[in-house]
Formats: sequence, C-alpha cells, structure tokens
Amino acid sequence: MERTHAVENGYICSLVEKVKEGDRAPFREIIRLYQKKVFVLAYSYFRNREDAMDIVQETFLRLHEKINMFEKGKNFQSWLLQIAKNLCIDYYRKNYSRRRELESEKSVEELNLASGNPADSHRSSDLKAIFSTCIQKLAEKQRMIFVMKHYNGLQYNEIAQTLSISVGTVKSLHFKAVQNLKGLVSPYLGIQK
Amino acid sequence: MKKCKEFQKNLVASLSGELKKDEEKLLLSHLETCASCRKELDELKRLLQGSDSFQEEIDTALASVDWNALPDQISEYVFKEEQRQRAKSWLTGIISWLSQPKLRPVFAGILFGLLLGSVATYLILKPPHLELANGETYFASKDFLERVELEMARRETLDYLEKSQYLLLDFVQSPSREKVSNESIFASQQAKNLLSKKKYLNPELDKFQMAKAKEICDQIEILFLELSQISTQLSKEEIKRIQNLIQEKQLLLKIKLVKKELEGSEV
Repeated sequence: MERTHAVENGYICSLVEKVKEGDRAPFREIIRLYQKKVFVLAYSYFRNREDAMDIVQETFLRLHEKINMFEKGKNFQSWLLQIAKNLCIDYYRKNYSRRRELESEKSVEELNLASGNPADSHRSSDLKAIFSTCIQKLAEKQRMIFVMKHYNGLQYNEIAQTLSISVGTVKSLHFKAVQNLKGLVSPYLGIQK
Repeated sequence: MKKCKEFQKNLVASLSGELKKDEEKLLLSHLETCASCRKELDELKRLLQGSDSFQEEIDTALASVDWNALPDQISEYVFKEEQRQRAKSWLTGIISWLSQPKLRPVFAGILFGLLLGSVATYLILKPPHLELANGETYFASKDFLERVELEMARRETLDYLEKSQYLLLDFVQSPSREKVSNESIFASQQAKNLLSKKKYLNPELDKFQMAKAKEICDQIEILFLELSQISTQLSKEEIKRIQNLIQEKQLLLKIKLVKKELEGSEV
C-alpha cells in the first residue's frame, strides 16, 4: 500500500514538473486524477452540486497559479486538498454564513422525522438529509475531518498533512466529531444518547 | 488496565482502520470483558453505517457530472484566466511601480514644477487688458506718452511730405497747356486734401521741435493754396509761375532731405 502510494506520488511529481514547464496535457491528467476527490470534499461541505463544481474549478486554477510552490517529495494530494479546503472555507464564509444562520434556526426535528417512532426513522428517505444536516452542524475542523475520513477515504496522516495538524489531533477531533454526530442523530437511529 | 473512556476513544479509530496492531489487541481483549464498550461499539457501527447514506447522495451528485469533459473545460478556463491575469498583472505592475512610496517625492516635485511653470507662464504671457477688466485705469509715464505722440507726429509728417512730393512732382512734370487739363484739376483736389491735413499737422509741428519740417511744410502749404485755385480761371502763365516757384525754392529737394531726416530720427 505504501509502495503504491509512493509510486503514485512519484508519477504526480513528474506530471507537476511538466506542468511547471508549461505543458498542458499533464495538467489535464492531474485534473482527471483528482477532480472527483475535490468534488466530494466540496460537495460534502456544501451539499450543492453547483457550488462544488465552482470549488473544483477554482481549486485547479489556484493549483496552476501555485504549482511552482510545490516541493518535490511532498504529498501532492494533501497539498491539493489543502487548497480545496481553504477555498471551501472562504466560499462558505462568503456565501453560506447567512444561510447557515437560517438553517441553524431550523432543528433536525423539523425534517419530518419527529413524528412517529424515531427508531423507524432511519428507514426514512430523509436519512441522507438528516446526516448531511447534522454533519453541517459540526464545528468546521470536525466536519472537515469527518468528510475527509469517511467520504474522501483519507487516512489520518493524510488528513493531518492537509490540515497542517498532528495525527493525534486528527484522531481526537475525529472522535469528537463522531460523538457529536451520535448526539445529534441518535434519536433517529434508535441509539441512546 | 485502561479505563473504558480511554478505550472508547480508540473505538472510532478502530472502526476507521486507524488503530495500531498492539492497540487493537488491547481493545479487543477489553471488549471481551466489557459489555458497556461492546454496546458503544455497536452504536458507533450503526452510526457510521448510517453516515454511508450520505455517500449515496454524493454518488448521485458524482454521476451527474461529465468527468471526461471536465478536465478539458477546466484546463481551458485556467489558461484563459491565466492569460487575463498576466495582462492584468502587467498593468498593475506598472501602476504599483509608479505608486511606490519612494517615487512620491519625485511626483510631488514634478507637480510643483508644473504649477510653478504654469504660474510663471501666466504672469509673463497674460494680456495687459486683463488688469483693466476690473475697471482699473492704465497708467503710463508722461515721458512715454510724449514719445508716443512724437512718433505719431513724425509718421503723419512723413506721410504728408510723401504725398506732397508726389503731387508736386506730377505738377512740375506736367507740360504747360493752353487749357487746364483734368490732371491739374485732380492735383487741385489733392492739394485741397493735403491742406486740410496740414491744418491737423500744425499743432504737432509747433509742439515738437521739428523746425525744418515745419518750414518746408509751410512753403508747401502756400503752394497748395495756389494749386487749390486751379480752375478755369487760372491761366497758363500762372501755372507756369507756380511750376517755376517749385523749382526756384527747390521744394522737392528740400522735401527729400527733410524726409530722410525724419526717417532717421525714429523714436
């Protein structure tokens, strides 16, 4: 697994070197390799396809602008996702602050799940909505770590590199994120708080 | 032995496949003996399975994008944007270079120089009547005014003498005839005009020291008085007498000399 990752990173580094020389084809190849990962991160963050597409586009634009700053040997994926994460945070603060204020006024119970037995609710088609709403309610870093871990499939060390924090902090924040999420969705999954 | 709380912290990492082997072993042995931690593990499993439902939403969103076309679209957008930024940065580079603080004294100096130059140009080239526009009177020295008047008198006299010279030349050169010709009548008319001009010139000639000019002008005046009488009453002998008078008094020569003198004494 480690070996495969090293080869992949080596391949990416060679593509990056070509992009630095002004080659367009390797840049398209990098986009092809990472576009979905950036999209998933952005979509998990905003739950909006168009916003996620904007983030994908802006991420690769920023990548091309900063490509000369990438140092050989560094984890390219972490570096790229760091760019995407920063863009998500900026975008969110710019466009979602007001929206979030309004949404936070709306409780999870308002999602048509409060009625009836909550234990049956997990079968509801709104389960997706519950999870995404609850994920949105997490603190910024916890949300980012949860999304990166569960939807981007990143390992703790990759998340740590992307967020520039220690692996121990990632582990701790991941635990907090899961606990908070458990607290929010437990009535609908038949879990005791 | 670790407390349950410590083990529960490792449960999330264990479910995410992030626990080291020795930690995993410890956790498993604890779970065999702790019902509370097993319950917690079950709940966390259900929670994380439930979170997979969001994965379905993500997959639906992923399926709605044409991932094959996107790299080309993004690449095109990036290179276009880069070109635009490059053009913009070239312009902003010049602007930022010009607006750097160390150049400010230079701009201030240029601005001050321009202002000073404009004021100086205005003061030098401003039309004199601008001062009179406010109803102020124009003051000139007495000496200056006298010089202006003298110059005007000199020019008037020169003009008078020149016209007189031509008239007398015409009259002297015209042959004696039995009858008074049209030319003589024209000369008579001219003489009358010049006489009226002389009346205007008299105070000027008296005022300024132009004795020679005055003398010759007086002699010309007498002649013109006679010339102005030219008509059918004036006989051929009388015309001949006036012509002789002009030649005797060398009037034309004198006019020439006075003219030269006046021309030389330009104020």
